[in-house]
Amino acid sequence: MKVGRRKFLGAGSAALVGLSLKSDRPIAGSFVNDSFQMGHMLRDRASFPPAKRVERFPVVIVGGGIAGLSAAWRLRKRSFADFVLLEMNPQAGGNARWGENEITAYPWAAHYVPVPGPKAEYVRELFADLGVLRDGQWEERYLCFAPQERLFLYGRWQDGIEPAVGLTQKDRDQFQRLEDLFAKFRASGEFTIPLELGRTSKFQDLDRLSFSDWLQQQGCDSRLVNWYMNYACRDDYGALAKDTSAWAGIHYFSSRESEEKGPLTWPEGNGWITRRLLERVGENVRTNEMVHRIVETKRGFSVFSGDTEFQSEFLIFAAPAFLAPYLIERFPRLDDFVYSPWLTANLTLERLPDSRGAEPTWDTVFLDSPTLGYVDATHQSLRTYIDRTVWTFYWSLVDGTPAQNRQLLLDKDWNYWKEAILHDLERVHSDIRQCVSRIDVMRMGHAMVRPAVGSVFSQERLRLAQPHRDSRLLFANSDLSGISIFEEAQYHGVLAAQRVLERLHGRH
Amino acid sequence: MGILLFISVLLVAACGLIYELVAGTLASYLVGDSVFQFSTIIGTYLFAMGIGSALSRYLNRGLVYRFIWIELLLGVIGGFSSALLMMAFAFTQGFELILYALVMVMGILVGLEIPLLMRIVRDRYQFRDVIAHVLTFDYLGALGASLLFPILLVPRLGLVRSAMLFGLVNAGVALWSTYLFSNQLSGARSLRLACVLVLCALGVGMVEARHITATAEDNIYADDIIFARDTRYQHLVLTRFKDDLRLFLNSHLQFSSRDEYRYHEALIHPGLAAVAVPRRVLVLGGGDGLAVREILKYLQIESITLVDLDPEMTKLFSSHPMLTKLNDMSLLSSRVHVINADAFPWVDSNTDSFDFIVIDFPDPTNYSLGKLYTTAFYRAAARHLSAQGLMVVQSTSPMFARDSFWCIVQTVKQAGLQTFPYHVYVPSFGEWGFVLASNHEYTPPASLPGGLRFINLEGLPALFQFPPDMAALPMPANKLNSQILVRTYENDWKDISH
Repeated sequence: MKVGRRKFLGAGSAALVGLSLKSDRPIAGSFVNDSFQMGHMLRDRASFPPAKRVERFPVVIVGGGIAGLSAAWRLRKRSFADFVLLEMNPQAGGNARWGENEITAYPWAAHYVPVPGPKAEYVRELFADLGVLRDGQWEERYLCFAPQERLFLYGRWQDGIEPAVGLTQKDRDQFQRLEDLFAKFRASGEFTIPLELGRTSKFQDLDRLSFSDWLQQQGCDSRLVNWYMNYACRDDYGALAKDTSAWAGIHYFSSRESEEKGPLTWPEGNGWITRRLLERVGENVRTNEMVHRIVETKRGFSVFSGDTEFQSEFLIFAAPAFLAPYLIERFPRLDDFVYSPWLTANLTLERLPDSRGAEPTWDTVFLDSPTLGYVDATHQSLRTYIDRTVWTFYWSLVDGTPAQNRQLLLDKDWNYWKEAILHDLERVHSDIRQCVSRIDVMRMGHAMVRPAVGSVFSQERLRLAQPHRDSRLLFANSDLSGISIFEEAQYHGVLAAQRVLERLHGRH
Repeated sequence: MGILLFISVLLVAACGLIYELVAGTLASYLVGDSVFQFSTIIGTYLFAMGIGSALSRYLNRGLVYRFIWIELLLGVIGGFSSALLMMAFAFTQGFELILYALVMVMGILVGLEIPLLMRIVRDRYQFRDVIAHVLTFDYLGALGASLLFPILLVPRLGLVRSAMLFGLVNAGVALWSTYLFSNQLSGARSLRLACVLVLCALGVGMVEARHITATAEDNIYADDIIFARDTRYQHLVLTRFKDDLRLFLNSHLQFSSRDEYRYHEALIHPGLAAVAVPRRVLVLGGGDGLAVREILKYLQIESITLVDLDPEMTKLFSSHPMLTKLNDMSLLSSRVHVINADAFPWVDSNTDSFDFIVIDFPDPTNYSLGKLYTTAFYRAAARHLSAQGLMVVQSTSPMFARDSFWCIVQTVKQAGLQTFPYHVYVPSFGEWGFVLASNHEYTPPASLPGGLRFINLEGLPALFQFPPDMAALPMPANKLNSQILVRTYENDWKDISH
């Protein structure tokens, strides 16, 4: 019927004015923020220009993601400003980068921080500094507005992402069983954020087992339960439950108090935090500085970036740890650091698509989609009338090995991903092609560390996270915890800065 | 004789344009979609003028005689065009047909005028002077008419009488021409008689216009939608049943002209009259100008800032004769500044302070509107309160949506303000509630402006009393991240409708 009408209109207008009716709007866009080239130069040990200049700083931070920026924030908060932060990309922020167009600011990756619990002291301190936490109250306009999440299933919407309609008694029982188990794990105090503060060897066995095997051991064979558990792993870890450590899977559900306040979020996602951090530490940050070699010297480190040699006493290595063997001379190879490849896309919508009668929410997920759904950047807008918006579309590539998926990211052109994204959205928003004017796609080969089986208690990881007290090299990245979340990155960044400050003060 | 001749060109041109504007405006009012109406009417009119110009070559003899008859015809047709169109809309199904036929006829007649005039005077001047002078005065006349129409004619005379006034001008020019060109004319006497008859008919029309309009309107607006438009922001519908004019936004009743004075007096006076020296007032929402009408009763107020999302709404209530009559042209007052903006971002970015703030939004029927009923919003609004300032919030019905009403009260309270809820009875709404809020204790006013029909000093204290079936309920505050009000409101009204 619909096609018929469109054809009729098309033919009618063609007869009248000699033109055919325009159906889908042309969609512009490209790959953005690609960093493959730089990564491959390092991997292939390309030759870099010799140093022409020497600059000296007591402290050099390599990597301008949340970990590096948090280290910088802590140093400056303690009135220490004699340091430089080197960021490879043109824009600092790492997984908390953002973009902006004439409609709104929008995130390029991480887009929220759950309301931090009491153990996340550094996060609370930061949020107090940024005005997010005032007199013990969370600023209302930074808490995610209602309605927050919706799941599309069986041709209709439901509130929240955990499937709640069409459940059989078995499904219900299994969800309940897991909830009870997670509550017990939560009460044990082992599963905390930051992860390091609660973890003991008590549940180490769970790290030797995949999350899907553990679920099976608990008798969870419900399709909906497994969909939801897999969704959680894909969303937070970029992996399927079968590729995730059971300890990490349990951590996802047992590390936070359940509370209805909802996460903290901003139109540009965690880019908002990056912006606030850059307001405080921006003068120490240098972008487009691709470090290509780090040499340990008698007095510390020589860090080579472009044609400059940065000499420092202390080095905070806040880039992902997997880069260390490529950058730091004589650094041993790392085997326990696995990273998940991701794809994010920002879609510019010139009008809101048909959503089968539902009001827009912050986060939208489709049951049984290979993607993670999308987040609406104007959801946190104070405006009452919104006719154009930006959706950030998330897709962690989980089928197959990370290496295979990295190759897939490299092989396929923009058009392929554009079509894949529209195809996914079209199942629910039938007129999406008439609404979208632009799709920018960001490919990340090593988007986030993956808590694979055995990785949470990996000796290799523990060694990097707990440096010898004389070491002048301090690692700081969420991958030290094995899970890629804001709080872990910030914790390791602040901790590294803290250790440097202690050494500097201890000496004077 | 030269200048007199060219003045008649100017008048003729003005008449021609006025008829065109009358047709365009009337069609916009009655049918809506002003862009479409004006475009097609101007196009048709110009096209018809072209036909008239083309036909002029077939008129060879008795040019003056024919010119005068054309003026008379235009005077009658143009003069009564507005009344005729109203009747056509009210009593026939073929409004559009009659509209465009009328526009065609008038256009053809107007198109004949100038070529004929040029030929009549061509022997007295050089050809290039004829062209230059006639066209100069033609365009001057058009300018004059296009300025007079919106500034003086429509607001003062209305459409029916504006058209008739210019019909009189046309007939006047005809009469005058019988003298001006008397040497080229035979049978001037019978022409003059015809002119006098047309002038009389139009004169009577001017006097009786009110009856014509009323007859037409009664039929047009009898229990009918008189205006419906999808603006960018909302669906706007005006209905009228006899003397009751009602505005609906997205199908929610905003006011009924029969009792809106109760709502708006109650919204404004308990608060504003209690401010010692009110100078500056802010109205958020309220694009109908009815709250502003009440505020303008305080002569000491220097400025009123009205922030309403929809420019079409404020424009409609600044221009539609029936609506400006209702709001006493409040939006046109020099003390009123209309800003078309989204309220929350505006409140957030503006830094002015106000002695009285009126928050008059549609009920929280969805999450978008719900944002305007949150602690975050009231906190942002309260930052604009001066030391003596008071704020009033329309808060839905404490009777039909009791939970919602007390939820709003609690929300204002949690935004750090003292609250003084009250309620009134508005027949078309039922029991309706408001919350006064401030940073200090509320002292009821000692005097009120004159001419109020509902609020009086004796009755005021009773408004703040809530009988048991509307009494306070413990409700949580509405916040951006919970938006419990939207759900509460939905449930409240669901309970009523079952």
